[in-house]
Amino acid sequence: MAHDKNQQLVKMINQIALNNAYDDDVDRAADAVASHVRKFWAKSMKQDIQALADAGGEGLNEIARAAVIRI
Amino acid sequence: MIEYYQPQAGQNPVFADLDLGTPAVDSDTNVTMSIDGIEVSVPAGTSVLRAAALAGIRIPKLCASDNLESFGSCRLCAVQIEGRRGLPASCTTPAEEGMKVTTQNTKLATLRRNIMELYISDHPLDCLTCPANGNCELQDMAGVVGLREVRYGFTGDNHLEAEKDHSNPYFSFDPSKCIVCSRCVRACEEVQGTFALTIQGRGFESKVSAGQDEGFLDSECVSCGACVQTCPTSTLMEKSIIDEGQPDHSVVTTCAYCGVGCSFKAEMKGNQLVRMTPYKGGAANHGHSCVKGRFAFGYATHKDRLTTPMIRDSIDQPWQQVSWDEAIQFAAKRIKEIQAKYGKDSVGGITSSRCTNEESYLVQKLVRTAFGNNNTDTCARVCHSPTGYGLKTTLGESAGTQTFDSVMQSDVIMVIGANPTDAHPVFGSLVRKRLRQGAKLIVADPRYIDLLKTPHLGESIHLPLRPGTNVALINAMAHVIITENLENQEFIRQRCDTDMYAKWREFIAQEKNSPEASADITGVSADLVRKAARTYAREGNSAIYYGLGVTEHSQGSTMVMGIANLAMATGNIGRDGVGVNPLRGQNNVQGSCDMGSFPHELPGYQHVAVDEFRKNFESAWGVSIDSEPGLRIPNMFDAAIEGAFKGLYVQGEDIAQSDPNTQHVQQALKSLECLIVQDLFLNETAKYAHVLLPGSSFLEKDGTFTNAERRINRVRKVMPPVAGKQDWEVTQDLSNALGYPMNYRHPSEIMEEISSLTPTFTGVNYERLEQLGSIQWPCNDMHPEGTPIMHVEDFPIGKGRFVLTEYVPTEERSNRRFPLLLTTGRILSQYNVGAQTRRTDNQVWHDEDVLELHPHDAEERGVCDGDWVGITSRAGDTVMRAVVSSRMQPGVVYTTFHHPGSGANVITTDNSDWATNCPEYKVTAVQVEKVTQPSNWQQRHKAFDEKQRGFLTGVAEQSEG
Repeated sequence: MAHDKNQQLVKMINQIALNNAYDDDVDRAADAVASHVRKFWAKSMKQDIQALADAGGEGLNEIARAAVIRI
Repeated sequence: MIEYYQPQAGQNPVFADLDLGTPAVDSDTNVTMSIDGIEVSVPAGTSVLRAAALAGIRIPKLCASDNLESFGSCRLCAVQIEGRRGLPASCTTPAEEGMKVTTQNTKLATLRRNIMELYISDHPLDCLTCPANGNCELQDMAGVVGLREVRYGFTGDNHLEAEKDHSNPYFSFDPSKCIVCSRCVRACEEVQGTFALTIQGRGFESKVSAGQDEGFLDSECVSCGACVQTCPTSTLMEKSIIDEGQPDHSVVTTCAYCGVGCSFKAEMKGNQLVRMTPYKGGAANHGHSCVKGRFAFGYATHKDRLTTPMIRDSIDQPWQQVSWDEAIQFAAKRIKEIQAKYGKDSVGGITSSRCTNEESYLVQKLVRTAFGNNNTDTCARVCHSPTGYGLKTTLGESAGTQTFDSVMQSDVIMVIGANPTDAHPVFGSLVRKRLRQGAKLIVADPRYIDLLKTPHLGESIHLPLRPGTNVALINAMAHVIITENLENQEFIRQRCDTDMYAKWREFIAQEKNSPEASADITGVSADLVRKAARTYAREGNSAIYYGLGVTEHSQGSTMVMGIANLAMATGNIGRDGVGVNPLRGQNNVQGSCDMGSFPHELPGYQHVAVDEFRKNFESAWGVSIDSEPGLRIPNMFDAAIEGAFKGLYVQGEDIAQSDPNTQHVQQALKSLECLIVQDLFLNETAKYAHVLLPGSSFLEKDGTFTNAERRINRVRKVMPPVAGKQDWEVTQDLSNALGYPMNYRHPSEIMEEISSLTPTFTGVNYERLEQLGSIQWPCNDMHPEGTPIMHVEDFPIGKGRFVLTEYVPTEERSNRRFPLLLTTGRILSQYNVGAQTRRTDNQVWHDEDVLELHPHDAEERGVCDGDWVGITSRAGDTVMRAVVSSRMQPGVVYTTFHHPGSGANVITTDNSDWATNCPEYKVTAVQVEKVTQPSNWQQRHKAFDEKQRGFLTGVAEQSEG
């Protein structure tokens, strides 16, 4: 079951990344994604996505991966 | 004993209860005249009839009403004017400077008596047993003119035996009582805009007819009630009045259906509601109504209403009826145990967009204080959360910019993903009125909505885009405006962040955003998009109205920002006739958002992470508030299934029916150890509950609703709560039982607390509401009477912010397995999950959800009108009846979700808006095929439903689903 929830978080953050991916500037996009997640995600969700990234970050796209570090 | 401020019902704007005969006229010049020796000054163009009424002189009248243009057919309002020949009708005679009018003398009296005599010679004299007795204009006029005899007798040709039409469930048509004044026909045209009624025949043969010799039910009549309201006799009469008699008192309150927020007079006999009539003093509706608010109130006294609190240990057990105290203690104990075992964050609450501001405020306060976390959300999550995000980011405030009346100044009305004639009918009528006056219409919608079929519509453009391609379309429109230099440079320079504008301009001018490039994506031809963009940018005041067809997408927030970009680029912000206007689905969507229901925001959209905001609430509430946002509804479901979220308090919402991917929701609800449901009925969610707390309807409580134009309207209690408590009292009891004290004695005290903590509400209190009738927030020292139009001088964030809106296609795409796109919507007669309207006679119009599909798609599948079809998506499958309809485009199918058994949300997926998690209800890839039996889910649902109903009545069904 926990796997499902993580999949959902990966889907969500990847989607945020796609919607903030301007001009191929990964840094800027990652900042925008991290800021969005900080503002709108619950603490437990932030912790889960960070744990997931620490464990290899399977499924995260490039911007999302860069963003998680900045949360 | 403290005396509460208890507002007097009906004490609202002047003249709200008077019929002044003809509509108000807007003019800069005044004319002064004398009527019966009284000097009167009125705007030029005002009728003599109205001028007299304003001076307190009531000239007899029958065919005139101040919500209709003057007609001059009854001649009862004849007057004598010095220096003029004859006795002109005062309703059609404009007031002129120096005019001297006499309203009563022997000649006029004789004329009026003769007119009444003719009317009465063909009218039944059964006044004592007539339902209009006590409220009949014809009877009143007969009395006023002093009619004493009818010299013609009653034996000649007459209409006394005319056949009655009882086909409409809410009103009867008795042509024998008709005086052919045409008020009903004119109300249908001028007020409602449907043109269903007509006068058939000439002279003596003239009669009111709904369509061509059809009964009312089969005609185009939409049951708005405008004709019934205006009828001066009992020809068109509410069945409730025929059955119960005339009301003895009335209270002004606010409708609890859609986000238009119409004001109504609840007309009562003792504690019994006998009629709802739209209140002329209501600033949102000006005396108009729709079939829901006007007639569909029977649910409030329906036998299914929950009247006793109930508890049970598990959802496989029958309910046990208990006292309020026992139920509250049981709920509090469970919540405390869960928090002790799984942690503070393992519980949460959902506020309702159907409940009052005060009730939503209390639920989120309970979550933030008694629960001690930010796990609060509202059903606005699944409808307009992208509006909150998108408008706040661009314009700086999470709300629409205009009043409804502003549309009467619009030259171009653009409607995107909304269907106002069904979902916001009273506003739909206002839009139609403006369209008849010549405003241009642009509709961006996959369906050919009814607004496009407005009688006497002028120029209109339909952009029939593919579901899910909104952003590509709005970008293409912006591209045209930028590349053809149609933007409003002055507005942009003065009002907007020019750096952000420059970046946006560069982005939007790219070739990929051109209408030609996006035509393949949207399915809308480049020419049509260019035409629409030019119309929007060039033709004066352009206003955008949008609905859930904008928000309920994976790019809902992006689209809202795209709309704001377009309005800013063309300077269509900050005055009458323009603006960006979300049409809110439920009565208090705006309010529940304003009240801090979202997990990241305190009341007034104050983010929990901002110390300054949080500290205000912490010191007022005496608790420390988490600086991290809590879980949103879909996150709660995921956490519940994972096992981290165990307790939920749901007030007035039916997440098991309204939220997408039903099977996922059901799984989440089953995972909870304590589900507390507070509702009027055993709704779908309540079937998974452990504590059932009876809710109170809008008729049973005091409070306020905030409509789509930010208008705060009073809700007034007209009858006692059936289970003894108003909803806010229940929340208060629960909070006290959990150990956080709340001691409000009246909702006005809750509003005072809200005002003290919310900068946009500082001027709002019940006394002010009583004085002003209603208030549009922001209402504070800068705007003491509220703010009808926002962003007139600047934005709350200073400069308007253009945001880049890259089109990102949804993952939900049609393919070989699921070749069609399903989109969902609403229908006029039903409301949301149908909990209310399904328990009224509105069922005669829509007693099941159906699947609409284009003739081509139907033919390909061998589907005929009325066939059962299975609809399958990757989330699930269900079965409905098919309706073949050319209103659909090929490849797109449509349904509603008003009936739980139809399982529309079994098919919708867990895709959601990237920014807010608002579900993507509007795009689901599906396959449709002919079938012969209900789906597996439907069979399981039926068995579960029967079992749970059995638990309620104590006769549990033996069969297990």
